[in-house]
Amino acid sequence: MATIVGPETRVYPDPGTPRQPKRNLGKLMVTWMTTTDHKVIGNLYFITAMAWFMLGGLMALVIRAELFVPGLQVVDNPDQYNQMFTMHGTIMLLLFATPLFAAFANALMPLQIGAPDVAFPRLNMFAYWLYLFGGLIAGAGFLTPSGAASFGWFAYQPLAGAAHSPGLGGDLWVMGLALGGFGTILGAVNFITTIICMRAPGMTMFRMSMFTWTVLVTSILVLMVFPVLAAALFGMAADRMLDAQIFNPAFGGAMLWQHLFWFFGHPEVYIIALPFFGLISEIIPVFSRKPLFGYKTLVFATIAIAALSMAVWAHHMYATGAVLLEFFAIMTMLIAVPTGVKFFNWIGTMWRGTLVFATPMIWAIGFLVTFLFGGLTGVILSSPALDFHLTDSYFVVAHFHYVVFGTVVFAMFAGFYFWWPKFTGHMLDETLGKWHFWLLFIGFHGTFLVQHWLGVYGMPRRYADYMPEDDFTLLNQISTVFSFVLAVSMLPFLYAVWKSFQTPKVEVDDPWGYGMSLEWATSCPPPRHNYTTIPRIRSERPAFDLHHPNVATMESPEPDKGVMEELLGGPDTDQAGRKGTETGGTRGNPHV
Amino acid sequence: MMTMVAGAALLLSGCGTALERGYMPEPITEDGPAIITLWNGAWIAALAVGVLVWGLILWCMVAYRRRHEDQALPPQIRYNVPIEILYTIVPVLMVAVLFGKTVEVQNEVLSSDQEPDVTVNVIGKKWSWDANYIEDNVYIEGVQASGLSDGEEGLFETLPTIVLPVDSRVEFVLTSRDVIHSFWVPGFMKKLDMIPGRVNSFQVVTTEEGTFTGKCAELCGAYHSQMLFRVQVVPQGEYDQFVTDLEAAGSSGQLSNDLNLYPLYDDPQRKSFYPDEDEGVYVPGDDERVSQGSN
Repeated sequence: MATIVGPETRVYPDPGTPRQPKRNLGKLMVTWMTTTDHKVIGNLYFITAMAWFMLGGLMALVIRAELFVPGLQVVDNPDQYNQMFTMHGTIMLLLFATPLFAAFANALMPLQIGAPDVAFPRLNMFAYWLYLFGGLIAGAGFLTPSGAASFGWFAYQPLAGAAHSPGLGGDLWVMGLALGGFGTILGAVNFITTIICMRAPGMTMFRMSMFTWTVLVTSILVLMVFPVLAAALFGMAADRMLDAQIFNPAFGGAMLWQHLFWFFGHPEVYIIALPFFGLISEIIPVFSRKPLFGYKTLVFATIAIAALSMAVWAHHMYATGAVLLEFFAIMTMLIAVPTGVKFFNWIGTMWRGTLVFATPMIWAIGFLVTFLFGGLTGVILSSPALDFHLTDSYFVVAHFHYVVFGTVVFAMFAGFYFWWPKFTGHMLDETLGKWHFWLLFIGFHGTFLVQHWLGVYGMPRRYADYMPEDDFTLLNQISTVFSFVLAVSMLPFLYAVWKSFQTPKVEVDDPWGYGMSLEWATSCPPPRHNYTTIPRIRSERPAFDLHHPNVATMESPEPDKGVMEELLGGPDTDQAGRKGTETGGTRGNPHV
Repeated sequence: MMTMVAGAALLLSGCGTALERGYMPEPITEDGPAIITLWNGAWIAALAVGVLVWGLILWCMVAYRRRHEDQALPPQIRYNVPIEILYTIVPVLMVAVLFGKTVEVQNEVLSSDQEPDVTVNVIGKKWSWDANYIEDNVYIEGVQASGLSDGEEGLFETLPTIVLPVDSRVEFVLTSRDVIHSFWVPGFMKKLDMIPGRVNSFQVVTTEEGTFTGKCAELCGAYHSQMLFRVQVVPQGEYDQFVTDLEAAGSSGQLSNDLNLYPLYDDPQRKSFYPDEDEGVYVPGDDERVSQGSN
């Protein structure tokens, strides 16, 4: 049981010599397969998700290579091309980005709230196995004679039904995703329970790290929409395999599927975005040497984004002519408001700070720059009058890659470079990290920026081919060339990963020196149950308070006080370890 | 490198009129200019916000970078309520303006109150297009552009062609024979889905003569990318000749909805869901012409 000690009296315990089992691959496999340790499960999620990421990336290269010139050269027939983008989308959304949320949540969240593990460790492991086997089943379509699913990752009915897409690939797709979806649901139950019930003494809700907040809100979103996806997928499976008529177009089934799918599909975008906003919110303060600016507004913005995201699904369906355009337009546009709040809070965190451009910070700024553009094109797409032209074109392809790649991939690598010592005990190479960043940044923008023009000129998405007369060739060639630069950027990363294990271990709790959330107050990597002692938690940056006790007494400008502060209550903080304050100023509570 | 230079050249050569219309296709319909005005306005606002935010990020990177290893910690400011309120309220106002403008243009784009001069029931099928000209009682039967995979020039001239008279109000009534398709003429700057079971429609007023490209924009199976067509806008005389030629070629009458895999479920003329009771093409808003729809 962890004991609570103040910063003055805390003694670092001698970790002793950790038990060193013989390094043996068989033993390691058995340990991993039987583990219930959230950190090991997190690693399993990381490894599996990264394997899918690279596989999905290879499919993207096939797609880009095919589009290099008019005519079919790379794939054998257009159906193979359709399999490529279907599985690329499926993999990136459901087998990479969503599990990556579970990976970071497993690896970090219990540490950040001072819990020894998640609430249901065995359920946690079960969720991982569901994901692994669900993913393998969905991907196994490639091994069947008719190939993998080829009806697009949103499986519009009746195209994805048995009449138009027969074959085992589609059956494997639907059942595999249903299975994996249950893993996501069980993971969300676990995360919510852990956050509600297992916070360390002193860790009030408003002292939780931003990442933990986003895990909580994301998990609630998962519980609201993944069961709907499961129901829709089982309905689709019944149609395909049991000859049910749930999505028969004669009875409105085509629209029913779209509503069910996008009711899941839009919040899904935020399920894979919010946790990565959380990662960014952790990294920027550390390398600005300042606390997160507007912590509470960030929490409220996160909740507002999640709430609004439940009411915008039909903006994917403007062109169906069957939805109330004005409602979904205004709700979609309103999402820009809390998202803008987040941007200004991140900028406010950097404002008058001391910016240190370590690799994680570079990735975080890369995220800001990239995601911002995706957000702006998102506002443009939210207008039905413009969306009628742009939807289902390459403009949309470009938009969602800016949003999803900009968020998930940039923030993921920011997170890897930042928490690698916490996960493995080793640092990733800074120079390789910068090479990695610049190759990926240039590759990404070169690939996707030009696609906005392609879409506006009239290139529909999911086209295996185009005519020479279309004048799409040059822009496609630019996009393809840069996509290979993007792919090459993985090489320095993989080399840095290999190299990190050849370097000596990190000896300190916080190799960055200014880590804020609680995980930086335990060893790298942490012991089996995370903490031998838990420091006092009196603000949202307990590790910083522990390592920099002098800052609590530092003179700092007191922010405005008044009516709004009475309403919002100010930050729940006092670094000197005294009881809660009224003002939230960094001078502490003068009444104590 | 060559492609990069060429790409930059392409983007630059597009300046002038292309830039003025935000790289949109040249408008060929009456509501086109309104869409372009909204598009340009939205981009100007978006880029203004973008430049502000990118500028602030860049400013932070330059002005607040660490200059000395041993620099003291900066002031630990945690929040500033007035500024936070400011950057919540201002975006709400911007959204309100965009929404208002959007609804204005949207109402114009979607208006179908007026009687059309020509009504074309375009029917999506895997993987081409049929078209029934309702008033003129002729039809076109489209064939898939299967030569696309060769990558050769010249395919465009062979695509199924929907001919329309210039300066006319044209109503497109969109249905599908099998899966979801989407009727997109980039020059119209709008598209509408063809959903099996549903009847969708929109109107355009043609303003420019010429031959324009059209594509299916919703994934509809293996040969989705071969589901291409052309729209040819011609003077009224040529259009009349086109109708006469179709009649001479034996394409009088209408292609029946019996060819559809799924019956139309939202057709108010229909009394039941059973396909055998289905009668011809339904044209919304004009009961008289329904009878013309049956073969």
